Amino acid sequence: MDVMDLKITAELAKLALTEEETAKLSEEVARMLEYFSSMSEVDVTHLEPTNYVLQKENRTRIDSEKNESDIPDKILGNAPRREDRFIVIPNVL
Amino acid sequence: MYQTFIGLEIHIHLITNSKVFCSCRNEFGAEPNTNICPVCMGYPGVLPSLNAEAVRKSYQVCMALDCTLNETAIFERKNYFYPDMPKNYQISQFAFPFGINGFFDIDLGGGTVKRIRIHDVHLEEDAGKMIHSGGVSFLDYNRAGTPLLEIVTEPDLASGEEAEIFLQQFRQMVRYLGVTDGNMEEGSMRCDANVSINEQGKGLGIKTEVKNLNSSRFVNKALEYEIKRHTKVISAGGTIIQETRLWDEDRNVTRSMRTKESSNDYRYFPEPDLPPYLPDKDFLQEVRESLVELPLARKGRFMSEYALSESSAAFVTGEKEIADFFEKMVQHGVAPQTAARWLSGDVQKQLNLSGESLKASALTPERLSRLLVMVEDGKISRDAAKKVLAAIFTENEEPEKLVKDLGLEQVSNKEDLEKVVSEIVNAHEKVAEAIRNGADKQIGFLMGQVMKATAGKANPKIAQQLIKNNIFKQG
Ligand SMILES: [Zn+2]
Repeated sequence: MDVMDLKITAELAKLALTEEETAKLSEEVARMLEYFSSMSEVDVTHLEPTNYVLQKENRTRIDSEKNESDIPDKILGNAPRREDRFIVIPNVL
Repeated sequence: MYQTFIGLEIHIHLITNSKVFCSCRNEFGAEPNTNICPVCMGYPGVLPSLNAEAVRKSYQVCMALDCTLNETAIFERKNYFYPDMPKNYQISQFAFPFGINGFFDIDLGGGTVKRIRIHDVHLEEDAGKMIHSGGVSFLDYNRAGTPLLEIVTEPDLASGEEAEIFLQQFRQMVRYLGVTDGNMEEGSMRCDANVSINEQGKGLGIKTEVKNLNSSRFVNKALEYEIKRHTKVISAGGTIIQETRLWDEDRNVTRSMRTKESSNDYRYFPEPDLPPYLPDKDFLQEVRESLVELPLARKGRFMSEYALSESSAAFVTGEKEIADFFEKMVQHGVAPQTAARWLSGDVQKQLNLSGESLKASALTPERLSRLLVMVEDGKISRDAAKKVLAAIFTENEEPEKLVKDLGLEQVSNKEDLEKVVSEIVNAHEKVAEAIRNGADKQIGFLMGQVMKATAGKANPKIAQQLIKNNIFKQG
């Protein structure tokens, strides 16, 4: 895999790679991609794309709110840092 | 000469009870992080489930914009890392949205209508809210996962003013449909605009995108600023840099937003946890039948059916509740012009005073109609009707009762009035003489005296006639 492509992919995945890791992965990812590329040898000219295999009918939910009152507080309890009901994180702007 | 191309991306918050993929309440202004659950907080192992009402409202918009409806609509994941979305992706639609290739006609006045093409309409989830302060950011996920409908136009708008008109009329339309409250200040309607200029006939130029536009006025101003900036750069032989800019409403300028272009790859892929949505015939038929008459059509109809002027029709059809109110008044026998005049004048004044909406106020079409019929029948004067109108707002009473309570009933009874008139004429014999000799204007003086004597309750038409009868009979 092209080193530049790998660096962009790593950045998108929020992975910090060292130069050695980049060199090593570049080869390994190239091998993986080659393996996956065997799929593109299959002729799919007249096939509809299959996005979902289990569908029988539309699945929707009736628009009603459910108020399980202790769940929001339990979730908030998992936050490492809080101020009142806000979750506080280092500034990312 | 340069040609300008403007396209808009409009986001509207759909009015629903619950969020789009979970059962958390969808409300504005709740305590931070009260409407959250494992689904909208992106906990592992949870599954999204699609809100039927959000789907329904989406299709209403698609149909109002005459979109082609995809037979299969597919939800996709738009991947990005930012703390406003705990899942690290937003569920949206990309390659197969609900609606594509629609249009919206904007009314530029004087019978000129411009057709703006709609690229697509897609349903997605909103992100949470972040407040940046000093070295930290405060997160509130109440808004995360609330249903957001994005409407993307083609670059068919030619000026900031056209963009402003588009937004105003689009807002009117979606409020008619009842799918959103369209409040730009509260963020339930948001707009990003992209703009490019190029020499006539050469097609689109390099575009910039402007964000942070929370009123249609700012959209206009920001676009005009960008058009001037582009013109200056290009006229000087320079090139526009394709970028996103922020509108700075304090300084009336747009500023470049530094972004890493390489990370602008959302790697969309079909959402594996949500099946595609295939709208069936019955559903579409039912949605189509639920559509109301839209503002532009209604304005045209009001002009032809009720002979309203363009500005009057535009006012009355500006909000659906006013248009409905107007038509009820006409059904109750009020002349269309009269109904329109009162709605745009005194009723509006009272609403501004009380700060209420028409719907929430004590005024009903029945009450206002009965009040205006009383004016028409000469039972009360127009000034008295204004007093009664104000009293309806404060007292929440029937107009007939208020007329009585406030003692505003006009004296139309001829015998009662004749007595008053003859007293006045006798007391002002010199004036009467002058009138007999042709000083018509002096009748006004006698009218004033009659009004004084009746505390303003004399029916002016009848009083005037009686004064004339009295004077010329005696002469
Ligand atoms: Zn939720």
